[in-house]
Amino acid sequence: MSDAPNQGRRALPVGPKLSRDGLLELRSPESSPPVAPRAPETPQLVQAFVSRHRSFFILAAVLVAQLALLVVQITRARILPPAKGWAVTVLVPFERSLRGLTDVTGGSWEAFRNLTEAEDQNHELSARLADDETRIRELSAKAAENERLRLLLDFKARAPFATVPAEVIGASPGENSNTVLIDKGADAGFATDLPVVTPAGVAGKIIAVYPQSAQVLLITDPSSGAGSLVQNNRVQGILKGAGRGLCQLDYVMNQDPVSPGDVVVTSGLDQIFPKGLPLGTVVRVGEGNLYKQIVVRPAVAPDRLEEVLVVTSKPAAPEEARSQAH
Amino acid sequence: MSAPTERPINVYRVHAAALWIAAFLALVLQAFLPVVLPLARLVDLPLLVVIYFSITRRSKVFGTLFGTVVGLGEDALSHGFLGMFGIIKALVGYFGAWASIQFDLEQFAARLVLTAALVLFHSVALAGFERALLESVPAWQPLDLAATLLFNVALAPVLFQLFDRLRRPA
Repeated sequence: MSDAPNQGRRALPVGPKLSRDGLLELRSPESSPPVAPRAPETPQLVQAFVSRHRSFFILAAVLVAQLALLVVQITRARILPPAKGWAVTVLVPFERSLRGLTDVTGGSWEAFRNLTEAEDQNHELSARLADDETRIRELSAKAAENERLRLLLDFKARAPFATVPAEVIGASPGENSNTVLIDKGADAGFATDLPVVTPAGVAGKIIAVYPQSAQVLLITDPSSGAGSLVQNNRVQGILKGAGRGLCQLDYVMNQDPVSPGDVVVTSGLDQIFPKGLPLGTVVRVGEGNLYKQIVVRPAVAPDRLEEVLVVTSKPAAPEEARSQAH
Repeated sequence: MSAPTERPINVYRVHAAALWIAAFLALVLQAFLPVVLPLARLVDLPLLVVIYFSITRRSKVFGTLFGTVVGLGEDALSHGFLGMFGIIKALVGYFGAWASIQFDLEQFAARLVLTAALVLFHSVALAGFERALLESVPAWQPLDLAATLLFNVALAPVLFQLFDRLRRPA
């Protein structure tokens, strides 16, 4: 309870009462002087009470005011407080700015996510592409092998001699040595000097036979030789290897008509290679002292041999055929 | 929470501009965030702002008036009547300031407990007001209440840490 301001004198009650000094004073009614009537103190009390509990009264006033506002709005539903319009008007620019900011941020984030996803997708697609390319190469190789084998089969079927297919499994080292190793040998009935051909033409001949493989001397080897003739004019010569993937046609007289582009085939006179098989194409012709200097590109590229046919029986010579007929 | 008689109470001041900017931003974000983040509707940023500043200022009058203004701002942006949030946030501001005078709220746990109590009071009082004043009574959603309590109490420490940087010792 707060202290009330002491304004005015206080009436002394009848009967014993403590004085200022704390001494009990005994006054009789007859001896007490008359006192003034009591001054009003309620407003001061109220004021003191209100100021003491100011915060509570402010709260109460605020609540009452807002309740009144609510009641007015509820009872008169068509009244729209202008404060709503002002608040929205003030906030709209900020909301728009925030929206723009989030759109930009969201767009950037989306772009970044798309970029990351695109990168991941790129890696994945690159890996798939590499796999697909590998597969395509394998399929292409198989298709090429298939084509070669088909040609080989056709050639074998059309050839007037028996053949055994073989696969090239190795090549000899050294620039000047042109030999390859095939995967069949004595087990397939091979022997030395058997011709080795492809559908494109003559590849070489067997020079060594092993139990399960054989060594083939290519026609590009300098130590090889094959009886040959120019297809269009029947000019005969000997085809020898010249190294570096080329051959030369020897013993063609200077006056014999040989030109670049002429096809050279086997003559059959060497008793090794069947007659008429392509050997190569003339690429260069030069004049020598007595014989022409003719360079021939072989029909069978020596560095691309994969499957070959080994001729195991040769067609009978015309004389033999006539004697057998008789 | 301990009685203030055994230890001195720290008094802080916050710049008026920072206070009102924080309140304004809370209203703007409260209106905007649910558009891009649906879960944001469970968070009441203006309420957390009122709780923090009424605790910090330790003045029941300030808490009442600040809560009233922020609440009326929220009413103005809502589809409801002016005064709903004003009344409840005035009470929240008053009780928050009262608690800050009675107890030492510098401790993290004490702040968290008071925040939880005021958030719960706010949600329950709002539901009660809607039932009392509105014709259509919204269905009671205890899960929503729990989620609101959880999200606001989880966000409060982060927000209060941020606001603590705005205050200076008086």
